[in-house]
Amino acid sequence: MSTRSWALSDDLSSPSSVVVLLLAALSVVLLVLELGRRERLGLLIAGTGLLATLLLSAAVLRPVRVTERGSLVGPRVVVLVDQSRRLELPAEDGRARRQRAGESVAALRARFAEARLGVLGFGEGPPMPVDDSGRGTRATTGSDLAQAVGSLAESPGEHPRAVVVVSDGRLSRPGPGGDDEALRRAVGGLGVPVHSVRLAESGPKDASVRAVRAAGAAVAHQPLSLTLEVGCSGGLSCGDVPVAVREHRQGVEPAVLASGVAKLEDGAATLELRITLERAGARVVEVSIDAPDGDQVPENDRRFLTFSVARERVRLLHVAGRPTYDVRTLRQWLKGDESVDLVAFFILRGLTDDTMTDDDSELSLIPFPVEELFTEHLPSFDAIVLQDIDAVAYKLARHLPAVARYVESGGGLIMVGGPSSFAGGNYAGTDIDRVLPVEISENSEPHDSAEFSPRYTEAGRAAPVLGGLVDLLGEDLPTMTGSNSLGKPRGASLVLLEHPRRTADGAPMPVLALGEAGDGRSIALGVDGSYRLAWSELAASVSGRAFGALWDGLLGWLMRDPRFEVARAEIVGQCISDEETTLRLSRLPGAKGDVEVSVERLGKDAKKALEKKLPSPPPGPVDVPLGKLAPGGYVARVRIGEAPPARLDFACERGGEAWADSRPDGPRLERVSEVTGGKSVRAEAVGELPLPTSTRIAAERHVSPLLPPWVWTLLAACALGGHWLARRRGGLT
Amino acid sequence: MLLSRRHALTGLAAALGVLPSRAWAFGDAGAFNPRVVTSGGAKLDAERSSAPARWGYELVRRTSAPARLSATSVAFDQPAFAAEPFAIWAGSAELGPLSGPERRGLERFLKMGGVLVVDDLAPESGAFGKSARRELRRVVPESAPVKLDPSHVVFKSYYIVDRPVGRVQGPPELEAIVRGKYAQVFFLRHDLLGALARSRAGGFALEVEPGGAAQREHAIRLAVNLAMYVLCSDYKDDQVHAPFLMRRRARRRP
Repeated sequence: MSTRSWALSDDLSSPSSVVVLLLAALSVVLLVLELGRRERLGLLIAGTGLLATLLLSAAVLRPVRVTERGSLVGPRVVVLVDQSRRLELPAEDGRARRQRAGESVAALRARFAEARLGVLGFGEGPPMPVDDSGRGTRATTGSDLAQAVGSLAESPGEHPRAVVVVSDGRLSRPGPGGDDEALRRAVGGLGVPVHSVRLAESGPKDASVRAVRAAGAAVAHQPLSLTLEVGCSGGLSCGDVPVAVREHRQGVEPAVLASGVAKLEDGAATLELRITLERAGARVVEVSIDAPDGDQVPENDRRFLTFSVARERVRLLHVAGRPTYDVRTLRQWLKGDESVDLVAFFILRGLTDDTMTDDDSELSLIPFPVEELFTEHLPSFDAIVLQDIDAVAYKLARHLPAVARYVESGGGLIMVGGPSSFAGGNYAGTDIDRVLPVEISENSEPHDSAEFSPRYTEAGRAAPVLGGLVDLLGEDLPTMTGSNSLGKPRGASLVLLEHPRRTADGAPMPVLALGEAGDGRSIALGVDGSYRLAWSELAASVSGRAFGALWDGLLGWLMRDPRFEVARAEIVGQCISDEETTLRLSRLPGAKGDVEVSVERLGKDAKKALEKKLPSPPPGPVDVPLGKLAPGGYVARVRIGEAPPARLDFACERGGEAWADSRPDGPRLERVSEVTGGKSVRAEAVGELPLPTSTRIAAERHVSPLLPPWVWTLLAACALGGHWLARRRGGLT
Repeated sequence: MLLSRRHALTGLAAALGVLPSRAWAFGDAGAFNPRVVTSGGAKLDAERSSAPARWGYELVRRTSAPARLSATSVAFDQPAFAAEPFAIWAGSAELGPLSGPERRGLERFLKMGGVLVVDDLAPESGAFGKSARRELRRVVPESAPVKLDPSHVVFKSYYIVDRPVGRVQGPPELEAIVRGKYAQVFFLRHDLLGALARSRAGGFALEVEPGGAAQREHAIRLAVNLAMYVLCSDYKDDQVHAPFLMRRRARRRP
């Protein structure tokens, strides 16, 4: 297509052209005034004057002929397809909304065949590329349309003439409510119509846990208020819906933390439940409802959530069978640590001691509240230190199953040596035996009196837990007066210190060992002379600080203090079932060796879901693909070289938050289109969307003068000459 | 030689020289050990030389705590002084000034949290006590002795003790240098070791004045409490014990 037009010469500026035209107009006015004084030939004078003025102006302005050739191009239209995994939920026809989205994209391509169509995905962050069916490389939880439109508005280059949103309408932004102005601010940044294609008008029959909100941060031992929203939609009949909150732990059945009943009115109910998480760190909590029959989306009847539980203070129970310098030194160190809330019970009067009084009121002794401590209050402690106490003599034996369950549920346990520890304290063959990191032998002498200096193992040298001690004393350790007889390490337990001469099953006998049992951790220290790290000639050389360095590490490791973990592990994004999950490891500086990762399902009788070994990966973060995991709670253990493993508990759920509310929200899409001047249609009516006007693009522009400049000049000169003659003849000078 | 509670009688016999000495048993390493400090010219007379062992014996007999039943001596400037958290500095005569290494050894001991009992064996003259205070002032000039409140944990660490007594009744209060949260140096003007000392014949070596057997029993109880304080520090001040002990103390008041 070509068009023709004319213009003035390009080499004169607009102001110059205006000046020329003004001078020409002034000349005509002067000519009219002069005509009053002429004697004759008025018409000829006027005609030649006007001609001369025109030709003189043309000689200066030099008009040109313009010929343009170009084409019309289609308008740029951007289609934004919702990438939330919520689109995997069914629409009213039973098909997945994602499938309808793909069909809608195909229909839009046909409808906007004349347009320059760009199809992008939106979810979280800027729009992302998608394939032909409108599916991106990864599904998202949210549907942030405001962010997507904002990114388009801020991007350089040609802006679209229209935007088409393909979604079910349950957008995370703009949210429900808000006036038109707020909605316009959120999605009107481009200043173009935002059309919408509604993928669903109604949802499936569904009862779900729509939201779980915690009032503040989770702190160990502190009640935490959970606000739960339970919903029922799609025509499902719901009355009172039972709700339960459970904590998933390793090796044991989930513990019920709270339960209640949601009484639904108008398809929704809000319920507040108080839970208390006793253990710090990442804890996996399940919130579930007992949905009525007919629920078509059972996956969102329960949510698996990972709570990051902080610890205000370490609540520690220290029980000692008799007071010694070892007990004294540990107590003073624990009391000196402001982060430790210490509850101590020491047996001060033995069963055969003679107090030399018949009147107990002369004594300041109180009964050892073993029943109270190991039943009612046991879960409230973060860790227990059992130091040289006979389990049978002091009626602890009957509570050892509870102590073992406490450890398996996430508690910490340290057994410190002495004549009444381990086998000497009648712990062999008890339930507590199974949660300690070493076996307790019943067949040998319970302890040995030979002096020795413990020896570091390779794991001991590599373990951050002993890093402080190694820094202070190097390889030297004080002499110990004897040792408990400890068996070989149990399972994946690690020996950090060993006896230089005594053996257990053919290997050097452990002196200090760490291990995990279920959800908890335990430590076995087979000597009663750790106080020599505070009181000895060697200890005095570092002012007694070595004792604190050892116990800081032991207690820190027991409490999962990141300082004493060999690596920090985190899940990249979220763990969603049926999607690839990645574990990212950040190793401590200096952590060397192969990386071993194992993932195990939380719960009783759970088996390993995955085991991987990465031979000495290069420095920096390491991403470990975990594959696709089923819904539930998991524990990932990461071992680097010989050091004790780090641990991460995490939750994996199907659909996650995206599936929590399965209802589509068509009216919200209609409002978005309305406030931006767009149109909202059902998925079947894509053909009704208006096409923006095309844009004309110039491809060629040809400019040629009407006459050469010299011709204009000659003509102007001739006309001026003729005008001069006419004036002379007419009596004008 | 050391003895645990379960070997108390055997140990006592050994302390008295009846049995040959033997190696330490497992569990004895952290036992209460009333070491006698010889620095500054301090020394126990022959009558009181059995008192530290008797202190350990009474502790083993009456409580679950293990103790060593033989007297060992140590000086402030010996490396071994920093190997245990407790020592007794007892004497009856004026002390000579401590040497530089002795002062530094004592200062390090106190900084590490050690507990020292200064027992004036001749409170009538007070020469030992005054000179010990003089020397301690030079070591820890920032910490002056203070009278301990009757509610201090040392008065309830095992027995409920109303006032300190020893061979002599002495002043009704106990003075101590308190550093941080803990009393670290106790000043006794009661000749506590004199009340504990035994003769070779088997009886007590010295008569107590003026209270007789009851006073001696109270002196032994004070010794047990001091040992328990060394072994348990402020355990009896813990919140779990407080209501119980307050009720018991209230019942004991007339």
